[in-house]
Amino acid sequence: VTPDPLEVLRLPVVPVEPRTEFATSLLRRLHREQPPAAAGGATVRYFVADLDAAVAFYCDDLGFEQELRPSPAFAMLYHGDLRLLLSVPGRAHALPDGTLPDPGGWNRILVQVPDLEATVEALRGRGARFRHDIVAGVGVRQALLEDPSGNPVELFEPLAAYHEREPPRPR
Amino acid sequence: MSTVSVRYIVTDIDAAIDFYTTLLGFEAQMRPNDLFATLVRGDLRLVLVRPTGPSGPAGGGAPMPDGRMQEPGGWNRFSIEVPGLAATVAELRQSGARFRNDVVTGVGGKQIIVEDPSGNPVELFEPILPEARLSQPSPSPGQPGR
Repeated sequence: VTPDPLEVLRLPVVPVEPRTEFATSLLRRLHREQPPAAAGGATVRYFVADLDAAVAFYCDDLGFEQELRPSPAFAMLYHGDLRLLLSVPGRAHALPDGTLPDPGGWNRILVQVPDLEATVEALRGRGARFRHDIVAGVGVRQALLEDPSGNPVELFEPLAAYHEREPPRPR
Repeated sequence: MSTVSVRYIVTDIDAAIDFYTTLLGFEAQMRPNDLFATLVRGDLRLVLVRPTGPSGPAGGGAPMPDGRMQEPGGWNRFSIEVPGLAATVAELRQSGARFRNDVVTGVGGKQIIVEDPSGNPVELFEPILPEARLSQPSPSPGQPGR
């Protein structure tokens, strides 16, 4: 059999793992009436010790969607208009004196949930840690959750009366 | 329209309001007392709270059940996009702002970390790749500075 002379022109076949969750989340965002592009969105960076554990936590437990994970040290997630960058501390993040960032601290993202008690209970059932249980704030009830690396995430549920006084802005 | 809320712990509400509104383009939304304020920049609502002791009011600044007080600092931060990073940095330095590092050039853009008066980090980002723009999530996203 004579080899196909055009064989040399063929591109190598690179196996690609299909990622249906990426396609699904992309489609959902593209089809939204008011995509984040129009609204602007907001970006927050969290440092994590274990990227797999962090991505699983935010996506499986808190409903984030993974947008991008180009390396073992970086992932980009979405939750509504929030873009959460997860970085494993590395040389790129070191200060001039060599200090590396680490997870933790008290500054945090706020995630609104429809039923705080049910959410807290479900998360506890899956082994999530809380810095504090549900407390009443001004107009909201809130709980302070920790991701697997110890970063705080504030869960909150607006109180009904607060809602009536100031309806949530349309998203 | 602000749809994303981030809470920062600050030791001085008014110094923080001044910093974020004067230097970083935030607008003050409310400041009911000297423990709490909210600011807005685009879709980001920044909730500032001053830590309170065990006898203080309940809420975002209260201590933990184990007595731990909340405090500013750490490394987690929000990121804001600026069109000309060098000019912004020069202007901020002129105003006496502190930086944790110098401008770092990553894959998707240039960035630097400025500190608010309480020592909280804020990441300033200037995209190089159009795909890395923070305000325009793209169908084929690039990598913002990692």
